[in-house]
Amino acid sequence: MRSKKTLFSIGVFLLLSAMSLIGSEAATPSPAKEIPISAEMKEKFPIKAHHAKLSLKCTDCHENQGDNPENFKLIGDEGCLSCHKSKVYLAERLKFMDTLHVNPHNSIHDGPKLYCDECHFEHQKSDNMCLSCHSNDVKLWMRETP
Amino acid sequence: MSKEMMSRRDALKLGVLGAGAAMLSASQAMAAAPTEKDVKFDEEYDVIVVGSGFAGLAAASKAAERGLKVLILEKMGRVGGNSVINGGAFAVPNNRDQKQFGIEDSAELFIKDALKAGLGINHVEMLEVIGKRAQETYDFAVKCGATFQAGKKPTWFGGHSVARTIVTSNMSGSAIIQPMAAFVEKLPGCKLMTRTKFDDFVMSADGTSVVGVTARTNYRFDNKLLSDDVENKSGEKKVYRAKKGVILASGGFSMDKVYRQLQDPRIIPTQDATNHEGATAGAMLKAFQIGALPVHIDWIQQGPWASPDERGFGVAPLLTQQGLFVKGVAVDVRNGKRFMNEMADRKTRADAEYVILHQDPKAFPVAIGTYNTFDEQVYAAVEKGLASGVMKKFDTLDALAANYKIPADALKETIKKYNEDAKNGVEDQFKKQSLKDVKGKEAIEMKGPFYGIRLMPKPHHTMGGLKINVKAQVISANTNKPIPGLYAAGEVTGGTHGASRLGSCAIADCLVFGMVAGENI
Repeated sequence: MRSKKTLFSIGVFLLLSAMSLIGSEAATPSPAKEIPISAEMKEKFPIKAHHAKLSLKCTDCHENQGDNPENFKLIGDEGCLSCHKSKVYLAERLKFMDTLHVNPHNSIHDGPKLYCDECHFEHQKSDNMCLSCHSNDVKLWMRETP
Repeated sequence: MSKEMMSRRDALKLGVLGAGAAMLSASQAMAAAPTEKDVKFDEEYDVIVVGSGFAGLAAASKAAERGLKVLILEKMGRVGGNSVINGGAFAVPNNRDQKQFGIEDSAELFIKDALKAGLGINHVEMLEVIGKRAQETYDFAVKCGATFQAGKKPTWFGGHSVARTIVTSNMSGSAIIQPMAAFVEKLPGCKLMTRTKFDDFVMSADGTSVVGVTARTNYRFDNKLLSDDVENKSGEKKVYRAKKGVILASGGFSMDKVYRQLQDPRIIPTQDATNHEGATAGAMLKAFQIGALPVHIDWIQQGPWASPDERGFGVAPLLTQQGLFVKGVAVDVRNGKRFMNEMADRKTRADAEYVILHQDPKAFPVAIGTYNTFDEQVYAAVEKGLASGVMKKFDTLDALAANYKIPADALKETIKKYNEDAKNGVEDQFKKQSLKDVKGKEAIEMKGPFYGIRLMPKPHHTMGGLKINVKAQVISANTNKPIPGLYAAGEVTGGTHGASRLGSCAIADCLVFGMVAGENI
């Protein structure tokens, strides 16, 4: 996921690094050309509140995909996990839910193996896959899927 | 198959159009499978398995164990299809646990039970294989890592004349699927690809044998489409050679909104089913196009133990099949009376429920029992049922009757008579076989508390499919002989269970014939 375009000035790089540290260690600086985010684009490609809080830019996730958001591709598990570490790590974080067998990242059916985007979508409403069978249980198990 | 990427053959000239193709529109009927001359293979395996449920993984495990290089194609993002959301109940006729608990059983008794439920139209030679090899198949699954609640008294499922069902350690098919998938994946040269959609077979140059498949990687199932099989164009095309052949284990079509309604017009597109959303007919139809024989396609089994108070399979099937139905009762809310043998086969029970629901679509029957009616294996699910509201608990029968608007006196009379018959060892009005177990006791303990679940049948298992022989070879309509290089197992096949499958026989069928396919390919 790392850009090859690393010949940008070190100054810009350091500045971005410092900014990203204030937000979170998750926000990897991208040396790609910055894409101005218009109100129209915000409406077309809204991002989740927890990501907006980190001031994530398009190219933080869509690395090496050019500068036209219309042509961006899905970033896949690899993209998500470049910040969120691993599926096993995520399952561990919700380990307390294992007691009732309701850990969505380590379910009885699938273990820590599902694709992130079975449930989580960045630019549209997420969709909890558990609901397809456990329509009544999910509200007892967990909050709305981030 | 893409018109642009692959040349079409003149289907009529080659004469491989199957009976199923007649059901398709004229333009599609011309789209025959490509031959090896039409394609360039991207990768080569010994065996390609389509589907990663019980049948597919058993087939892949067996073939991989024999040292063959196996590729499993799974169109969904998750592994296991219906099998991984299944309740994990495996009918093993004449099993070791039965012997330990003094339950007498035999392959012959199993076949008799299956024929009764199947209205006698079952293909008996298939049942014989299951009856003979279920225990051995169970042991093979355990060898691959599957875990069961062994050493307990087997569970008694509807339509079986004895208790012969063993349940997985976590009451889900995942206790078979997860370890079996891992078993295959760690063997050299074997691979499981998710979000990879089987598109078509690749035939030998003379059009007689299956030598590979075309598929799409990075395919994404779209539940918003009426027919994903026809409309979804996502993914990148790949062609895989299968040196020894292809095993089709793509499952049933209970969620195919178009095809299931063609078979049974009462099943409208919005009808809920117990299946996962990817349970469609596409792969089966491709096999028909290369000549596979269709059997019993319009017998669609509906689960009589499902509830209108939850989506999909849910928790109700566990709590009724391994609970309320065994020693409790199901009543018509309009008169408080029983209307079926709660332990009859699925078709008999679903039909009985539909008689009521056709008269009054809101009069969902209610299954009623007390704590003693639950099998030990489902204790963990009781709280879950209550918490989700699918099952309700009442201190008195009056409270239960009031909640479901059942005439209370009639309900009490029904339960009184039922309990008396059970206690005295007298055969009840519906000849319920499991009451033999409660002779001398109260079947429904009058001290309460009482549990209730509303019932509604849901499409569950498509009985029909491809005709296979006892070696799991797919039979051709053109020759009445096996299609070289094509095997199948599981719900995509038909005939074995006849008109209606007994509960817990799907795992038996899928694992046994999956294993058989893996042995013979």
